[in-house]
Amino acid sequence: MAAPAKARDLCSAALRRAQQHPDVSHVEVRWLSEQSERLRVRDGAPDGISSGRSAGFSVRLIAGGAWGFACTAEGSEPAVSRMVSEAVAIARASARLSDRPVRFPARAGEVGEYSTPLEIDPFAVPLETKLADLSTPEAELRRGGAPIHSAEAWMHWTQVDKLLMTSEGTDVSQRLVYGGVGMSAIAVGSDGRMQRRSFPGFPGSEGVQGGYEIVARTGLSAAASRIRAEAIELLGADPCPEGVRDVVLGSNQMALQIHESCGHPTELDRALGAEISLAGGSFLQPSDLGKLRYGSEIVTLTADSIAPTGLGTFGWDDEGLSARKAPLVEGGIFVDYLSSRETAAALGRESTATVRADGWNRVPMIRMVNVSLEPRAGTLEELVADTADGILFDVNQSWSIDDLRLNFQFSCELAWEIKRGKRVRLLRDARYTGMTPRFWQSCDAICGPEEARIWGLMLCGKGDPIQSMAVAHGAPPGRFRQVEVGHT
Amino acid sequence: MKGAELASMLNAALGAAGEPEAEVFATFARRGFARFAVSELGQHMQLEEPSVVVRVARDRRVAEASCSELSEHAIADAIRSAARTAPSVPRDEGFPGFARADEPEPPPMARHSARTAAATAEERVELLSPVFSRIRAAGLLATGVLDTTSRVEAVATSHGLTRSHESTLATFKVWALESAGGSGAAGHGMAAHVDLGSLDLEAQTEQAVVDALRGKNAGSLPAGRYDTVLGALALAELVEWLAMIGLGARELEQGLSPLAGRLGQRITADSFDVMEDPLGPHAFAAPFDREGVARRQVPLIRGGIAQGVVHDRATAARAGITSTGNAAAPSAFGGSGPSPSSLVVRGGSAASLDELIGGVDRGLYVRRLHYVNGYLEPRRAVMTGLTRDGTFLIEGGKVTKPIESMRFTDSLLEALERADGMTHSLTVAPNWWSAGGSVAAPAVRIRGLNFSSGSRQK
Repeated sequence: MAAPAKARDLCSAALRRAQQHPDVSHVEVRWLSEQSERLRVRDGAPDGISSGRSAGFSVRLIAGGAWGFACTAEGSEPAVSRMVSEAVAIARASARLSDRPVRFPARAGEVGEYSTPLEIDPFAVPLETKLADLSTPEAELRRGGAPIHSAEAWMHWTQVDKLLMTSEGTDVSQRLVYGGVGMSAIAVGSDGRMQRRSFPGFPGSEGVQGGYEIVARTGLSAAASRIRAEAIELLGADPCPEGVRDVVLGSNQMALQIHESCGHPTELDRALGAEISLAGGSFLQPSDLGKLRYGSEIVTLTADSIAPTGLGTFGWDDEGLSARKAPLVEGGIFVDYLSSRETAAALGRESTATVRADGWNRVPMIRMVNVSLEPRAGTLEELVADTADGILFDVNQSWSIDDLRLNFQFSCELAWEIKRGKRVRLLRDARYTGMTPRFWQSCDAICGPEEARIWGLMLCGKGDPIQSMAVAHGAPPGRFRQVEVGHT
Repeated sequence: MKGAELASMLNAALGAAGEPEAEVFATFARRGFARFAVSELGQHMQLEEPSVVVRVARDRRVAEASCSELSEHAIADAIRSAARTAPSVPRDEGFPGFARADEPEPPPMARHSARTAAATAEERVELLSPVFSRIRAAGLLATGVLDTTSRVEAVATSHGLTRSHESTLATFKVWALESAGGSGAAGHGMAAHVDLGSLDLEAQTEQAVVDALRGKNAGSLPAGRYDTVLGALALAELVEWLAMIGLGARELEQGLSPLAGRLGQRITADSFDVMEDPLGPHAFAAPFDREGVARRQVPLIRGGIAQGVVHDRATAARAGITSTGNAAAPSAFGGSGPSPSSLVVRGGSAASLDELIGGVDRGLYVRRLHYVNGYLEPRRAVMTGLTRDGTFLIEGGKVTKPIESMRFTDSLLEALERADGMTHSLTVAPNWWSAGGSVAAPAVRIRGLNFSSGSRQK
């Protein structure tokens, strides 16, 4: 998908303008245009039917040995020239505080185009069709009334067009299309206790790269009566007993577990201290590379920007590096970071090509791509059958992890007690907690590719000012031995 | 851009589009944002944040469209786009219409500083230079942000309502770190003010350095209940979560809120008051919400009794009351329901943090919290989170030694029942997810706060 001629011309003009400054050693100019649609039906009525467009330019450059960044929504040559001047002025001012110049490794530019493969353009589907696809399952969730107190169904679509031109000769255009559809039911018992059930996963985890074909594949209507029944059943369920049990994570919860305890701590900017002001640091330090046992021998985690349908899939990252797949944890050993060109160079390594900005007016930074757990063998039901005494957790309800990504506690909407290889009862308000490496070292089973699903998390927050990024995780179910569990 | 200029643009766009029932809300922010880490100014940015959100109603069928271009032409196009969509949207029988010209005027609020608005990259570097020097001199690493933001916002409706407001906010956050990456001791300082000149960078930096130095060689404690003094920023974060799960009308309607079915009843300690107070000295919000309704004081919990929640025009109409002026601006992280903008927790009688610490024989002082989550059991306001940037053991009424990060899991409302002291003075914390949003809170002493896991180990 080629960028519009006007955007290309203005990016070229900005690039030329920046290169006129003798102290400018590197320039990246970006244009980004985003089209979006959000639809929600709640309790039988529309609850936000919106569409949006946002577009603009940005420049990131090195002048006088320091970084500068500026942006503008205005699509004119004077505006992009002003943007460049501001970035140069910022870099020069910042250089006064710097002890050493930025070390940004040079490389040959890349040229090309990339588009998300899709079957049905979601922006071409009539609104009436979309609303019907939400209203039918939402009504089914509410069928019969109490104790179902509230229900909602939603869908969202985004198309991002972007162009990157750099002083190294990079000229890459991309069109990324993604979306998702989901629903939730809230049941409130006569004692005032509340339970929520969501589908297909926890709200915000339903994102997939592709077109409107996602809706039929997700199958809200087919699942609605089961989701309603589970919400009601949970009201009468016993609380999860306190203790130490074997834990099986379903695919959706495994995605969240990977996100929080592998994705974030393997971000090299966090490890080097660049993200303290919002997100925190990381327990995975450079001296641990190739040495630290992160997980058991069956645990291999990858940074993958080529997986079909993943929200972390692209042609090139925002520093112009092509998509790739590389291990972060291999056979349980921590072997690499999610990195940028500058941070990787600081360790004498190659970037893993994971830099993205969430919009035209934000600086690009290290973000998760598709950070995935490699599948092994077997189905979830076989894994349950092989578990004598455990709890199957799925569909996240609450999440919390410390600033080094060590101490985590997650609670889930669904928790099935497993006895002698069978699911015997639902438990409510269930949580499990642990320390990241010890938890992953206790992993003794990972299901096969037939059970692995890519979950797209729409709102991964990082950066300051906060950036909201769409990322994904390929997640087969797996089992962890002797984990602390309980109820909230 | 001036507020009147933006408002005039919105009205011109409404006139050009000619929709009889339409509303336009627009903001434009320019932010000089100097983000530094490990004593390097690696992300120094000039940011523009334009946003236009329009809503059009036809026969109670409401559609919304947004764009990033601030021009009469682009805004009129967005109105026409929403108008094309509206007929396909199901009727919203509860739609109250957009605000009319006779909507009460918001009180005047002077929340603009010429100095903040005019701050340059050179000035930010000038201000940060002694911060870097002080932290380096202590053998520590400097990390943080100096943000100088100027913002203009305006609302106009096809019924003749027009509002505009100009504001600034300067924010300084600083960490002094023993080592890069967050392991080791960390001290933190934070200040926010309309006027850049009123930020005391030196005092906040000193606070960060002192806490980092006394935080070295932290010990560990087992899980258990500890008498705990939560610093003002820690309590502010818990109250922010309380607002998210329970102080808006949507959460009340859905039955998620701890106030649901309990309005007028005692839900926590009778010493606990929290109110929405956008008019007071602790707030940064605009005097009106995205619907143009004047913000006002709203008692939420008073004397431990649930008083009410905040509303927008739609939820207020369903409840048979008037909007409290809390329609939420669209946000990638926020829901679309009404939410408080400017929460204030009433302080107590303690003259200082040390007075609260002095009343603890053996317990913890926690300066800040990290990654709090309040979705465990929202009806009980059960929350979990970690301590951060200064956790200290208190023995015999004095801070004696640093402790590694610990996890608490407890019901906020039940924990406040066990509170027996709050500072009189409040600290204001701007939130990171909404423009102008803030919580002002005192430090609090809670008896027997439940720490569900002890210090961390790899």
